[in-house]
Amino acid sequence: MAQTNPPFMSGVPELLVLRMLSAREMYGYEIVKAMRLITGEAIGFGEGVIYPVLHALEEGGAVKARRKAVNGRERVYYSLTTKGKRRLEQLSGEWRRVSAGVNSALTGTTGEPQDA
Amino acid sequence: MPDTQFEELRFELTRGGVAQVYVKRTLLELEEHYADLESAALAEGLGADEASRRAREELGDQRAIAAAILSRRELLCFQARHPRVANYLHSAAAIGAIPGLPLMYCIEHRPELARWGVSLSLAVTLVGGILATLNWLIVLV
Repeated sequence: MAQTNPPFMSGVPELLVLRMLSAREMYGYEIVKAMRLITGEAIGFGEGVIYPVLHALEEGGAVKARRKAVNGRERVYYSLTTKGKRRLEQLSGEWRRVSAGVNSALTGTTGEPQDA
Repeated sequence: MPDTQFEELRFELTRGGVAQVYVKRTLLELEEHYADLESAALAEGLGADEASRRAREELGDQRAIAAAILSRRELLCFQARHPRVANYLHSAAAIGAIPGLPLMYCIEHRPELARWGVSLSLAVTLVGGILATLNWLIVLV
């Protein structure tokens, strides 16, 4: 039976956030900037929606948050947990599989019957 | 960004049943994010009004942010996630409190109750003593 891909659409923000945090501990604004830079601004979104993604990941144990005062500003830094690293591997694998499938569909034959 | 706009977001999130810990954290992070965006725009040489407008635009529509938060069930408080269970628990707690109320009253008013107890004991002892004395006198006479 073919595998379903529920994270295909809904898991993209999570995948990108986890990928950014795999490099180092960051706060929301930094994550968004890094994401824009690394994706070549291919993905557009209101930056405020990054926070529900981060909070949901924290609630799921994939990231942990800590408050830190920097230059008189209170920042909430996020870092990846062991569970988060596993989740990143899982989502990356799923994304590569789906992406390969879509690429194959775009570059390959349509599967329609050929005229004799 | 004026605080009142975040107050509206706070109201929306609280009304939607988002856990208070996430309501407070979201507002703190949005305020910081907005300040970063505004600073970046000012550093690019934009005027204050234009920097504020751009920061607001990049942060995104607050209704969209609220919708994104409210769609995350895991960010809701227990009562919002499980309204029926919460209602049952409230009812059970209320029923459980009924027998506990007299006990709580006694604990809260223990000095007065102690005074009443001592007074009652003295009265019983006094009346008992008088009756015993009268009984003894009757027997003697």
